[in-house]
Amino acid sequence: MTTKYAAKETYTVKSTCKMCLHSCGTVVKVEDGVITKIEGDPSNPANYGKLCPKGNAGIMRHYDPQRVTTPLKRTNPKKGEGQDPGWVEISWDEALDTVAAEFKKVIEDDPRKFQPAINDFQRLYNWAWPASFGCGNFFSTVGTYCGGGYHPVNGIYHSTFAAVNDYKYCNYWIQVGGGDGFSSHLHVSGSVKRMADARVDRGMHVVAVEPRLSVAAAKADEWIPIRPASDRFFVLGLIHTLMHELNQVDEEFLTNRTNGPYLIGPDGWILRDADGQALMWDTVTDRAVAWNAAGAVPALEGHFKVGDVEARTGYTVMKEQYAEYTPEKMSDLTGIPAETIRRIAKEFVEAAKIGSTIKIEGKTYRYRPAAINYYRGGQAHSFSVQDNMAYKVLNILIGAIDAVGGHLGVLLDLRQSWEEAADGMLDPKPHQLGPGVPFSWPPNTTHLRDFFPIGVDPGQLNHMTFQDPEKWGVKDIMPEAMLIYHANPLWNMPGTTEFFDKLMNSIGFIAAIDVVLNESSMYADIVLPDLTYLESYNLLMIEPPSTYGIQLRQPAVPPTGKCRDATEILYEISERMGMLKNMNDIMNFVQGFVNAPEYMLEADKKHPVTEIYDRFARMTQGEDKGLEWFKEHGHNVVERMPSISYDPHPYRYPLYNEFIMKTGADLKKNFEATGCPIDWDFSQYVPFPDGRIPPVHKEAAEYDMYAITFKDTTVNFSENLSIPWISDIVYRDPIHMGLLLNPKTAEKKGLKDGDLIELRSREDAIRGPVKIVEGVHPETVAVSNAVGRWVEGHAIVKPGGGHFNRLLPSDLDYTCLVTGGLESVAKVKIKKLSAAS
Amino acid sequence: MTRWGMALDLKRCVGCQACTLACKQENGTPKGVFFTKTVSEEVGHYPNVTRVYTPLICNHCSDAPCLKACPTGATYQTDDGLILVDDDKCMGCRACYVACPYKHRTYLSKEALEKNTWFPGHKTPFEERKLREFQGGTVVKCSFCEHRLAEGKEPACVITCPAVARIFGDLDDPDSHVRREIARRDGYQPLAELGTDPSVFYLE
Repeated sequence: MTTKYAAKETYTVKSTCKMCLHSCGTVVKVEDGVITKIEGDPSNPANYGKLCPKGNAGIMRHYDPQRVTTPLKRTNPKKGEGQDPGWVEISWDEALDTVAAEFKKVIEDDPRKFQPAINDFQRLYNWAWPASFGCGNFFSTVGTYCGGGYHPVNGIYHSTFAAVNDYKYCNYWIQVGGGDGFSSHLHVSGSVKRMADARVDRGMHVVAVEPRLSVAAAKADEWIPIRPASDRFFVLGLIHTLMHELNQVDEEFLTNRTNGPYLIGPDGWILRDADGQALMWDTVTDRAVAWNAAGAVPALEGHFKVGDVEARTGYTVMKEQYAEYTPEKMSDLTGIPAETIRRIAKEFVEAAKIGSTIKIEGKTYRYRPAAINYYRGGQAHSFSVQDNMAYKVLNILIGAIDAVGGHLGVLLDLRQSWEEAADGMLDPKPHQLGPGVPFSWPPNTTHLRDFFPIGVDPGQLNHMTFQDPEKWGVKDIMPEAMLIYHANPLWNMPGTTEFFDKLMNSIGFIAAIDVVLNESSMYADIVLPDLTYLESYNLLMIEPPSTYGIQLRQPAVPPTGKCRDATEILYEISERMGMLKNMNDIMNFVQGFVNAPEYMLEADKKHPVTEIYDRFARMTQGEDKGLEWFKEHGHNVVERMPSISYDPHPYRYPLYNEFIMKTGADLKKNFEATGCPIDWDFSQYVPFPDGRIPPVHKEAAEYDMYAITFKDTTVNFSENLSIPWISDIVYRDPIHMGLLLNPKTAEKKGLKDGDLIELRSREDAIRGPVKIVEGVHPETVAVSNAVGRWVEGHAIVKPGGGHFNRLLPSDLDYTCLVTGGLESVAKVKIKKLSAAS
Repeated sequence: MTRWGMALDLKRCVGCQACTLACKQENGTPKGVFFTKTVSEEVGHYPNVTRVYTPLICNHCSDAPCLKACPTGATYQTDDGLILVDDDKCMGCRACYVACPYKHRTYLSKEALEKNTWFPGHKTPFEERKLREFQGGTVVKCSFCEHRLAEGKEPACVITCPAVARIFGDLDDPDSHVRREIARRDGYQPLAELGTDPSVFYLE
């Protein structure tokens, strides 16, 4: 590489993109030392040589003159809006010594007083850095907003991090509140191709269910507008129709590959024999037998008497409860006509071809070419666990989960394991990102992660606990030092400017690691400049929906200014804190070296990232495929093997999810044992989704509109608007510059295009101009992710009227108490501030 | 003979603007200049409404009004059908701009070229290098990435398109992918009634 840099010539480097959290393969062209083109790598099936608009805009991130290229120290002690930090350049030694000394002081006193806001998704292993010194805090909501419920539930039902329908074989695709294949999520450029191939070449039918006419809805065969935060009711209506009206479910699959036939006692728990094996009803011998009894023919449905105990099968328990979720009732809740729910259910189950099989590469698989897919909008609600479960249950009912053409698990990276739990069940793996935090009262984390045994970090709850530290048991662990690393928590967390200003000013020392400054890092005392993705290494593959393998991010050009790799910065800080061993211990854990001791990092060394990736490559890909191999070849990514995609395990799926029930029961015991005084709704730990109504629907009548937020590809994940090529497009698009209202709603409220309005929830307010569009549900005001920045430090970003998330109450009502996911819909009232000029 | 042409598949296009920015990278077009872009338009009334995404690019017409309007000979047609502008001959009169019924030409003033940097008051190394290709006071337009074609590569917007909504090829070859798709899908030329015979077709 060094020789390449020195030569005044044209060369290309195979690398990977980092303009969102995924990692498409790229080929970077450099001419006379200047990056002149980034293209997709046609040899990489993750993206087939394609790049999204953001991937095409990376050059402007790299050459942003407002990049931080040297360590900076603040000279103005006053922090907050309107305050110029008075940055001065300092040496790396001074910067690192200061950061390490300040962090060490706090961590040695109590690591729980340290607050990390670490969101560098492509270097996920660095999220674990605070754990190296015993800190479990998480001062951010990144990931929680979209995946708080999504990821743990995928871990429970698929033993994977994400999931998506089968682009290759699906024929009938229902998409609820998600951008998969159209505008966002899971390697968007490759997925758009896969979806276009399916839609246009194979004639796959797409039904999009959303409050707003998204890209998916615009391209779908049918757009079904839905009242925000009512998605689960639409799904329950479909399930009711299958179970009670059409009587079409995959009985064979439910009987043999789920715990649907397991017998449930009146208390809701699965009945077990003396050996602890789950019981089911054998129709041959007409008695209860263990789930694995040889020769048994289990009953999927029915009431049975086991000794003196009245029992029903899990499937029957659900079916009887689902009798009440009629299309008419679900229509009242969703605003979708009952006949539409019935029609979609019929089309869906007919397209599923229940009972059919297909042969791929000589092996016969279940073939169910219909599935329901969803992402943030479809499940980021107060009872997110139930929303997520509803989609899984529907896919299970037709046998489409992990079937050819159905709904498939998506691995976080290379790690794959499907293991057997008791009763022949798939072992649930809710913690896809790392181990959870053990229960404690008072809590050891300020965001109460201690109370979420199967959840993702509910960062929004920091806002709640910091306002009443006594009540929430966090008064002794209030923040004293903070690291903001590729994160903008003040922008994306709920909370008013006043609240954050006070909080940030109360924190003794704040350091930031980033490429550009933002609303949050403007509060930093020291800023440490990271490399961009065009001048750094990484070895990864995150959430590949249809591929398998890893790929190398490698520098196309030498580091700019004095920038250094963020991982190496953390090594430097760790060493100066006297915690080098801690860092290597955690690295060994998260990289998986603990399982292969010959690759273990030595405890007393600062390891260059290239060495870590080399060991990882050799450990996972074989000794002949170290870093040098990847430098030359870029990747070893292939289309995902059918053996991983389809029926990757022989275990039973949790139709009746006793694991979630049990987790709740254990949590309750912990609350009781410790005398935890917090009022917690344990009833959210359910074995299957029910019809409970999210609190957002019960706000005071004055808040008469639903506010939702949306994005499309140009503003998909991570920093966007400070990239001028992106903002040049986004700022020209009225969809992204206004608050979208249906014409009938605008007329009723006396509003015209361009009127400046305020949206006020019971929490806070944002504002912006009205944009009247037909493609939005009349009860909804839709807010682009592109409005609402207020950064002062970046010339390209136009200040907006506040982030949408400000409208979301960060309380327990708006948080899923099982997963930590946050409600993504707010109820607001609209006030006209001034007429269009 | 070769006649380069493009089919734009409206069914596949998702309006993501990857084409717009791939072009920006490839050609280094200054702020406000788009050789290609995608526009979107709402059609219908709630709830029977959709959004149509339409990619736009110079049609490289066989019978190009811009070519006829050019008084200096700056606009010319290559043997393989490209409509190009010779900057050295262009005096910036904008007759072509007026003549183009599709509005696919842009006048780039000296001032805009000098001042419209992507970051205020700063030219990035990328711009330093790429803006050399432009002359202020001329009319600029899409060349179907002539420089890439010369290297045997397809235009930048084509290779990047995630939806594979742009098919490029030789319209004179009845067996080319682009010709076959136009035939199979009843592709149509934009404003065909004007008789300009565009080399760009739309597929629905």
